[in-house]
Amino acid sequence: MIPNWMNQADVQPCHCSTVRHGKKGFVGKTIDGILGFLDEAFLSETFSRRPGLLQSLDPRAKLVSILALIFATSLIGDLRVLVFIYALTLLLSYKSKIDIGFFVKRVWLFIPIFAGIIALPMVFNIFLPGDPLYIVAYLGAGAHLGPFSLPDNIFITRQGTMAAIIFTVRVAACVSAVVLLFLTTPQQILFKSLRTVGVPKIYVLTLQMAYRYIFLLMDMVREMYVAKKARTIRSRGIMDDQKWVGGRIGYTLVRSLSMSEKVHMAMMSRGFSGEVHIMQEFKMTNRDYLYGALAISISLVLVMISQNIIRV
Amino acid sequence: MHIPDGYLGPYTYIALWIIMIPIWYYAGNKLGRELKSRQVPLLALAAAFSFVIMMFNVPIPGGSTGHAVGAAIIGIVLGPWAGVIAISVALVLQALMFGDGGITAIAANCFNMAVIMPFSGYYIYKFISGSAPLASSRRIIAAAVAGYVSLALAATSTGIMFGIQPLLHKSAEGVPLYMPYSLNITVPAMLLEHIFGFSILEAVITALIFVYIQKTDSSLLYGEKEMAIERKRKKGTTA
Repeated sequence: MIPNWMNQADVQPCHCSTVRHGKKGFVGKTIDGILGFLDEAFLSETFSRRPGLLQSLDPRAKLVSILALIFATSLIGDLRVLVFIYALTLLLSYKSKIDIGFFVKRVWLFIPIFAGIIALPMVFNIFLPGDPLYIVAYLGAGAHLGPFSLPDNIFITRQGTMAAIIFTVRVAACVSAVVLLFLTTPQQILFKSLRTVGVPKIYVLTLQMAYRYIFLLMDMVREMYVAKKARTIRSRGIMDDQKWVGGRIGYTLVRSLSMSEKVHMAMMSRGFSGEVHIMQEFKMTNRDYLYGALAISISLVLVMISQNIIRV
Repeated sequence: MHIPDGYLGPYTYIALWIIMIPIWYYAGNKLGRELKSRQVPLLALAAAFSFVIMMFNVPIPGGSTGHAVGAAIIGIVLGPWAGVIAISVALVLQALMFGDGGITAIAANCFNMAVIMPFSGYYIYKFISGSAPLASSRRIIAAAVAGYVSLALAATSTGIMFGIQPLLHKSAEGVPLYMPYSLNITVPAMLLEHIFGFSILEAVITALIFVYIQKTDSSLLYGEKEMAIERKRKKGTTA
């Protein structure tokens, strides 16, 4: 029996790395990157243990619902519908006891910054012709930038702005849905639930094992860089440092292959025959069916809206 | 290089799922036959390695840092089919656990980084190294070229996927719904960024990893163990 205190999880987000350095070289960046990775992994683990709406659902129902929602979102071209979906993910995060501030930051800071860089040029008439909304510059006839000829006027177009907003909101809505999925589901359970969408058992096991060994390898890499940092008085040339990194990656590769051999022998000695068995410990309740059906019907309606079968 | 959700329209990503599913199926069957019970631990560790390789920051001239994708060296060491599965598993983990790369775009990302890169990397390496001895510098050059070209190819493929979006998906007003730029912008943008930047780093890192393996244990390279046994057997019969 596991004593009660061991089952109690700390539900507050924890931060593994609190030390901040000034200007960082490649060593500092790697160490920070790895600590940031661990931070994030632990953080989603703490959220997935909170007593919220999504956490209480069967992981299979949740996975299928969120995948259906993402698929439907990827088809939508109407801004109002996309805003509705984004609002829905915010509501779900609130109901699942995920701090809205953290959730919004997680979605907007990390991924769609890149989307913004792509969306920004879209608003100008250089890339997309359209009706002028705001004139930025008057260049006159025959203006060109290198080999590209430019239009007489550079202005922000109505169509371009709309397209850029739709593009960004769609990316944000999809990313929010995935973030919700992994913030509210413990990793090992998420992998197991992949069986429902047809992932073979052998890959579920491979995913589970790979996830575990990522932490081991990450720690190994962190130790290498910390050891280097501790012994560095004066940095050597870029060539020498690159050689060092190449060697360390090679070493990690050799280590992981020899480790796989040892892991294999350990598995064999415990009766593994290559046949994969996965314990099925989920139970669908009426509530899970209800939520699953609800999410799938919303997605169906969204698909119908995107195909103009239903008009809004 | 990780394409997020919402960049590719349904035609493109569904087509790529249809392409990828038989590739995964074939790779799985082939590895199951060859590796038997070793399949799960080997692929799990290789996937973990494929994930971790992107954490290694490398100094680059100008005071900045970058990282390698490493798919070519994985193809060279594990063979292209094991590379397909190992890198795919790493990409699925990135998409599911960290939101890095989209869910609908998993097949597209796997096609670029888990099929094009290990396959082109492995065959370029094989082609250039020919029958050169394992410790030769010709093989180092082969590994470098494999790293360089494989990443450039993957970038081109990503550029093509982006560039066909405005052709496939437009709203009634003629405004593109997904990636808005056409092929004549996306392909040069992706290609230039890589052939003068990231691919050079990939080549250097691939070569350096290769040198390390060459020095420590070259029997790890894909197919070399079997070839060494074969050579020994041939020697035995002639003696």
